[in-house]
Amino acid sequence: MNRLNVFPVPDGDTGTNMLLTLQSAVEDIKESNAAEVSKIAKLASHGSLMGARGNSGVILSQIFRGFARAVEGKSELTPRELAAAFEEAANAAYRAVNKPTEGTILTVAREAGRAASTAASDADAGVPGVIAAAAAGAKAAVIKTPSQLQILRDAGVVDAGGYGLQIILEGMLKTVEQAESFNIETTAGVPRPAQVVLDLPEGGWGYCTEFLIDGTKLDVDRIRGEIEAMGNSVLVVGEPELVKVHVHTDDPTGVITLAGRFGKLLKLNVGDMSTQHKRILDSEAAAGRPPRSNGVGLVAVVAGSGLVDIFRGLGVDAIVEGGQTMNPSTQDMLTAVDGVPYNEVVLLPNNGNVILAASQVPSLTQKKVHVIETHSVPQGVAAVVAFRPDRHVAENVAAMKAEAARVQTIEVTHAVRDTRSNGLKVKKGDVIGLINDKLEFAGTDYAEVVNKALGKLGPDAYELVTVYRGQGASDDELANLESAIRANFPGLEVEVQQGGQQHYPFILSVE
Amino acid sequence: MTSKRRFAVVTDSTADLPDEWRDRYGIEVVPLKVIFGSETFRDRVDMTDDEFFRRLAASTKLPTTSAPSPGEFAEVYSRLAKDYDGCISIHLGAQLSATVEAARVGAQSVEGFRVNVIDSETVTMPIAFLCKVAAECETLEGATAAVQERIPKCRVLALLDTLRYLEMGGRLSRAQAMIGTMLDLKPLLLVADREIKPVDRVRTRSRAIQRMGEYFRRELPVEHVAVMHAQAPDEAETIAAQLRSELPGQELVVGNIGCVLGSHTGPKALGVVYIKK
Repeated sequence: MNRLNVFPVPDGDTGTNMLLTLQSAVEDIKESNAAEVSKIAKLASHGSLMGARGNSGVILSQIFRGFARAVEGKSELTPRELAAAFEEAANAAYRAVNKPTEGTILTVAREAGRAASTAASDADAGVPGVIAAAAAGAKAAVIKTPSQLQILRDAGVVDAGGYGLQIILEGMLKTVEQAESFNIETTAGVPRPAQVVLDLPEGGWGYCTEFLIDGTKLDVDRIRGEIEAMGNSVLVVGEPELVKVHVHTDDPTGVITLAGRFGKLLKLNVGDMSTQHKRILDSEAAAGRPPRSNGVGLVAVVAGSGLVDIFRGLGVDAIVEGGQTMNPSTQDMLTAVDGVPYNEVVLLPNNGNVILAASQVPSLTQKKVHVIETHSVPQGVAAVVAFRPDRHVAENVAAMKAEAARVQTIEVTHAVRDTRSNGLKVKKGDVIGLINDKLEFAGTDYAEVVNKALGKLGPDAYELVTVYRGQGASDDELANLESAIRANFPGLEVEVQQGGQQHYPFILSVE
Repeated sequence: MTSKRRFAVVTDSTADLPDEWRDRYGIEVVPLKVIFGSETFRDRVDMTDDEFFRRLAASTKLPTTSAPSPGEFAEVYSRLAKDYDGCISIHLGAQLSATVEAARVGAQSVEGFRVNVIDSETVTMPIAFLCKVAAECETLEGATAAVQERIPKCRVLALLDTLRYLEMGGRLSRAQAMIGTMLDLKPLLLVADREIKPVDRVRTRSRAIQRMGEYFRRELPVEHVAVMHAQAPDEAETIAAQLRSELPGQELVVGNIGCVLGSHTGPKALGVVYIKK
């Protein structure tokens, strides 16, 4: 699933996000003694919502929610009731999205529900038959997704989230059929996936990643060797049938992908150590500050040591570490919101893939939470700069939204795959430039791509370019970029900040 | 005008009084001293505002100012006693400088000459406005009452181009708490009620100028208003022209930010100063 990334930019992986979301649902169920379908469905709904990461994770949690509503009060389900629950699950997913797009997990959920209902209308139908129909309906819908969405067609892949739902339904079927093994066929009907490779970070090992590998004839030493190359504090122990893995890494996705080759992963848990640490530091710092007169706290999702410092310096009370490649869960954001010493909180997701998970937070806490839909770091900075501690929350939210909307974001990274996107042919490794999340330029060096992007924005309308330098940018590359901007756009002021973000050598704020 | 008036009006150099008003209203100005390292200058006598900012930009430590001595005030009051029955002496806020104290002590040593020393509680041109108000009164009592009444309504709205000078000064901790230190923000500060407080912060100069205008418009109506600048005369004139068109019939001068406010703002600062109605 992770390899079904349609965009050439390194970003949050659908497979990881859905797996962690589902894992959270499974754990809630395991911790209870519930035997009735209504209670189990409710636990799945709650657990998946708390663990929801990324857009696909949030939509999956809404599918569980719809299912749980449909089966309320029932201890067992008839085939018809099950089919109706699948349909209601799809409806709930559609309702959760502002602008439903066909060719995504939504379509797959709806087709699964329809197929289930058709099967259930047969008087002889049993529960396994209804689930089998749902899984088959999902699979048929997944294969059709490229015909519904241009971006999938361009990338030559099926929709990753829809494919994830198909796998979940197939897993459900195998469980019902009491299958001995859990091997899912992943190749049939799926176009050849693209290759995604994320570079290892140069510093910091942010995520405590733990899981069990369930397999046969597992080579513990070989697994240890491979895991050791990906992080530190490595512990790999076990038997040929079951291996326990613990590692601190900045690339949990890579570790999971690697380990998945050896066998089935159980009890997967990814914890963000830097967040836990920083949260403590932040609450200490907040304790030393005079309380704000408007009683409003600030929580932001940010990654990169420099960016974290910038947001904290601007007055943010708690940082949830995450963003582009590691989407924080709803629970992560909820914990941070509940941890700040204010009853009203403004939450800044600062990434398009985090917004949906962030927007679940307000309904999960007693606090009044305002989510400002910031799509990028520059938008987040603009919003925080506009925050004033002496101003009422409604005025602050309005001003923060307005300021975020004024800023233009240019992001510069390397393509992680060959693709055609937005009419551009991109080769893996090319320098690519995105303006406000949209891929606009490809080239061979950073300065060239940034020049084109600034030219497209029309520099006359702007005054200041703030360059947030990422981990991947060298001193020379930074100096080149700076002098190129000054030479080509003498009317623009240039300010350089150490962002320390991964994967994006440069993020530029143009205002 | 001055020939009819039986009392003198005295202030200090930090009022940033325009030369034209000094002549028009016959206002006496006592200079503070500005100290750069081992060199001492009489503000606006030995050193112009332009020179002050040239030196400020080149120095790594902020200059300090020192109040005129009581003796210097006494000299001025003694001289004025020959031509006037009394005097109103309006000065830089006591929270910022010992000037008011020096004036009070100096006044006590001049026998038989009444000096009403006033703590303006503010900085820069609102003090000049208060002098103008006083100079237009007929009696010392009337002038003192008119000035006292306006002191709580004086405002200085200042837009900084950089945080460097605020940081060097190590003052304004409240302001810094809001401003942060990583990004080069353009803070908008308000001097009112003996306090300097941040009222806004933005990232670009043009937005900051716009915000300063918006803030000022919410403060209308005003009785006196001036646009001030530190080495940014063109922008100040643009702002002034705009405000003049919005406020027909209102005298609106453009003045220089002098050394006291200037050492905190640094060059390229802009301000709108006014007395609220």
